[in-house]
Amino acid sequence: MNVEQVFPSVGVAIGLGCVSSLGVIVIAKIRRGLVRARSRALLAPYRGALITIASGEDEGGQAKVALGAAPPHIWSRLRPSVVAFLPKVRGVPAEELSALMRSHGEIDEARRMLTSRSAVGRARAAYLLGLVSDSDSVALVLPLLSDPAADVRMVAARALGTIGDPSAGSGILHALRTRRGQIGLPAWVAAEALLSMGVEIAPTLQIGLASDDPAVRSVCAVVAGHGTYISTAPQLRTLLATDSDRDVRAKAAVALGRVGGPDDAATLALHVGPSEKVVLRRTCATALGEVGHRESVEALTGLLGDCDRRLAELAADSLVRIGSEGIARLEEATTTEQGPRARAASGALELAALRGQLVVGSTGP
Amino acid sequence: MTEPVKTRILVADDDVDILDLVVFKLTQAGFETVAVTDGMAALAAIEADPPRLAILDIMMPGLSGLDVLRKVRANDAMSDLDVILLTARARDTDVDTGFATGASDYVIKPFSPRELLHRVNAVLARDDR
Repeated sequence: MNVEQVFPSVGVAIGLGCVSSLGVIVIAKIRRGLVRARSRALLAPYRGALITIASGEDEGGQAKVALGAAPPHIWSRLRPSVVAFLPKVRGVPAEELSALMRSHGEIDEARRMLTSRSAVGRARAAYLLGLVSDSDSVALVLPLLSDPAADVRMVAARALGTIGDPSAGSGILHALRTRRGQIGLPAWVAAEALLSMGVEIAPTLQIGLASDDPAVRSVCAVVAGHGTYISTAPQLRTLLATDSDRDVRAKAAVALGRVGGPDDAATLALHVGPSEKVVLRRTCATALGEVGHRESVEALTGLLGDCDRRLAELAADSLVRIGSEGIARLEEATTTEQGPRARAASGALELAALRGQLVVGSTGP
Repeated sequence: MTEPVKTRILVADDDVDILDLVVFKLTQAGFETVAVTDGMAALAAIEADPPRLAILDIMMPGLSGLDVLRKVRANDAMSDLDVILLTARARDTDVDTGFATGASDYVIKPFSPRELLHRVNAVLARDDR
């Protein structure tokens, strides 16, 4: 067979292959469309009841009874819709949807699946138990924080955060550590989970702030600041002044800006000096803007001419946030001085005007 | 006897679950609702026949809820429209941006439908005073 004969045969074969592939795709799409349409038709009578429960309007409980009595072949199709609603609502509707899941045996099944050989199965089970805020499952989900699969560990931490039981807090902090070649939980996942646990997490944070692991101290400082846990302020001051880890000191400074009182202006002002690392100086300048107070104004005004231009900008921005007293200092710098100090001050004032933080003709924000 | 005119509320959300839920809740509370699934349709509906209040998701295809809000506030004919942003964007800066753009209120998902209804009534009552 010569080349002229081979090429047309190959072309025909490729053409036939393309046509048959197209046919398979079209048939699959039609089949999927039919399945969806059938599923929609089957679920249509139940959709109203689901919306009634999710909107909190099922006062007589009829919708719950109707969905609770859905036969298994309907429930298997309805289940994804119920699961889809759960993260969208809170309060009574979320509780009612969770009760519905429980009545169909979904919670028991999820608990069983926590020990599944499949990582996807374990993750899905933990996710569902978090979604329905099943506080009775905390002890069962906790072991997944040391699961061999990193994704399962993350889902477990988030589920524990959603459940919101503070007794899981120390387990989450423990999971931050890298051990036996297993990478620790990402800091943001741990921080979000701890923040979801509310005020009762404070004692765990205090223990974590004294941990020998800088990753744990760092996360606890972030959570202390975001959650405004005032009881952690003494430890944050100590970390800012003495911690051996630069990141922990910076995180402590940010947190102190949020939870600290007027006295902390002096503490933060100690760390904006040129002997400190750039990151810490900048962080403390921002934190001074959060704390406010006269001592902050003095320290920040002194930074306007700093050779680190970013630090000068952050200081000027903090002066704007402090309000009328800080803005007066910036206006003074723009009128009585020239050079870097005046440039930093006028830049911050212009930005503040654009943000609507300044009222024309006044010195107040 | 003629029926009292119902207060009309536009609801825009690309999540059909949320859309159905909010529309149902508002209808049960006696409001008339207009439901759309994207920002362009929301803006068109507002321009065609301004409702008393609009509940906008922020992350929608085409125009975002914030874009719709900006256009509403920039148009003198519609600038009085009350707008509640109903969104999963929960950071402080997101809330700041929402109010700075001119939102009357800001509700974060997951949300309580009952609380949303209270907020709707509060925004409407604020205008009536």
